Amino acid sequence: MAYAALDRAPTARKTFLPLALMRRALDALYLWSAYLAAAAMVIVLLVTLAQIVTRYGHITVTGLSDYAGYFMAASAFLAFAHALNRGAHVRIELILSIAGRYRYAAEVLSFSLGALISGWFAYYACRMVWWSWKYGDISTGLDATPLWIPQLSMAFGSVLFAVAIADQLLRLVLTGAHSVPVSETVE
Amino acid sequence: MESLAILAILLGLMFVLLGLGTWIGLSLMAVAAIAIDVFAGRPAGDSIATTIWSSSSSWMLTALPMFIWMGDILLCTKLSEDLFRGLAPLMGRIPGGLLHTNVMGCTLFGSVSGSSAATLTTVAKMTLPELKKRNYPEPLIIGTLAGPATLGLMIPPSIIMVVYGVMTNESIAAINIAGVIPGLVLALMFSGYIVWKAKTLKNYAPDVEPQVSFIEKLKASRRLIPVVLLLVLVIGSMFAGYATATESAAVGVAGSFFLAWWQKTLTWKSFSDSLMSATLTSAMIALILAAAASLSLAMGFLGLPEALAAKVGGLGLSPFMLIMCLTVMYIVLGCFLDGISCVALTIAIIEPLVRQAGIDMIWFGIYIVLVVEMAQITPPVGFNLFVLQSMTGHNMFRIAKWAAPQFAIMAAMVFILIAVPGLATWLPSQMIAPRL
Repeated sequence: MAYAALDRAPTARKTFLPLALMRRALDALYLWSAYLAAAAMVIVLLVTLAQIVTRYGHITVTGLSDYAGYFMAASAFLAFAHALNRGAHVRIELILSIAGRYRYAAEVLSFSLGALISGWFAYYACRMVWWSWKYGDISTGLDATPLWIPQLSMAFGSVLFAVAIADQLLRLVLTGAHSVPVSETVE
Repeated sequence: MESLAILAILLGLMFVLLGLGTWIGLSLMAVAAIAIDVFAGRPAGDSIATTIWSSSSSWMLTALPMFIWMGDILLCTKLSEDLFRGLAPLMGRIPGGLLHTNVMGCTLFGSVSGSSAATLTTVAKMTLPELKKRNYPEPLIIGTLAGPATLGLMIPPSIIMVVYGVMTNESIAAINIAGVIPGLVLALMFSGYIVWKAKTLKNYAPDVEPQVSFIEKLKASRRLIPVVLLLVLVIGSMFAGYATATESAAVGVAGSFFLAWWQKTLTWKSFSDSLMSATLTSAMIALILAAAASLSLAMGFLGLPEALAAKVGGLGLSPFMLIMCLTVMYIVLGCFLDGISCVALTIAIIEPLVRQAGIDMIWFGIYIVLVVEMAQITPPVGFNLFVLQSMTGHNMFRIAKWAAPQFAIMAAMVFILIAVPGLATWLPSQMIAPRL
């Protein structure tokens, strides 16, 4: 299929060094962010197991469930970008697949919308963290954590997600194809 | 503007965004933002960011990655082989023979996995080639895999029930427990269908299984012990109130690791693969849930669900008619959306409607899982069809045709569930309150 062949077409990154470096930096960033997300998930597991042990061992540790929640959020937000590049986020590809010669235009439109929405959200996510820090918001739970610290994962993750979509959009415009695989079956 | 007109505009906008192929989570978020900003006349960004943070960092949600991870670890164990080798000698001589290993395998694996696709992959990997080798009719092999695999959603632990519980603020443990009996009834119905087909189908002539002695049957069923232990550990701890849903999921993860280690399939590669795959899946669902939370917020600002509930209440529909209408709606939606997106998209709007009609929310959770199960095998978008398509190479619409009887069985189950609501609500009422 001509569309697939475009994916392997020579791209700007192979010809221009600063772009090539940026490509590598971004890819590393997506991947390492996902590694952090995976680590956060392991911590969710450990915290939850610790919760069981402390309850039946009659040890009082406050705020464990709040920490589990923070790491849950981190494991989600930090993985958004990598999930995008791996095709984990679901989208309906039915119309795209029957759009024929309009497919390219439809893809550009849907990636532009995606970049717009995620960019909009990233802005407000950062703003929220900034206000949390400025006003010194503290968790209402027993843990009394300054909220801006766990919220950083949301700010960073959503910015990276927006960057990843914009990155794919740019790739789509410059090379004629993005590299997001068809959404995989998950459920 | 009249609130139903606003609802229509927002729904139209959502379908345009979804149709264009915008990611489902982002589409929901955009609709929420426009609803708040344009129609409610409030600044949307800050309230959406706050809502998304509190929903994403909620402790209830942590059950989600744990159940997903548990299933992903089990995929790299020898469970699929054990299930087949353990079940085959028990099923060989009853009418329908090894086709029952499809149903029983899916039921057992569904009880340790929260997903339909994972259940299907695990069971089909083993039974597809084995059953084909023994000359079972292919439409029947594939049909009886596609339907029963959806039991992964119904029988706890279930990912979609976590999603439903988080969205409606109902107890995740109670909803999961509620799925046990309907799941077993469904499995019985699937098996009954196989028996009926085996008796009536003209060209049904699979190889006859050798006679197996009772001792050998016992020996073979030893292979089922690990699954049963995991099942008791996870469902039992939830039911007996020893652990919350999240905790029993975490115990399930630990148990699955132990099983993988014991079977010597736990390597660094299988560990990191399962971890990364679970992280990505859980991130994808978390995005949809976060966006659904912002959609709920928007709907609340506009009072749309209440307006809709009042309007529908004014029509004087009986709860039965309401459920019928919703069933049609979900079947249509399910043709284009996956189950979790179906739930995320609709719950915010119809929850007040359902509560107002006096429908029990636990019962409704089971009902919604059932109709979403049906959506897994409806073309053109049905995840079980995708999986089977890639495993067998058959065209998706042909597989859907083979799975149509299973669809009918699940539709019949909807009516049974309406007639006997206790199937869903009795077991959770017997749960022991968490000793926390």
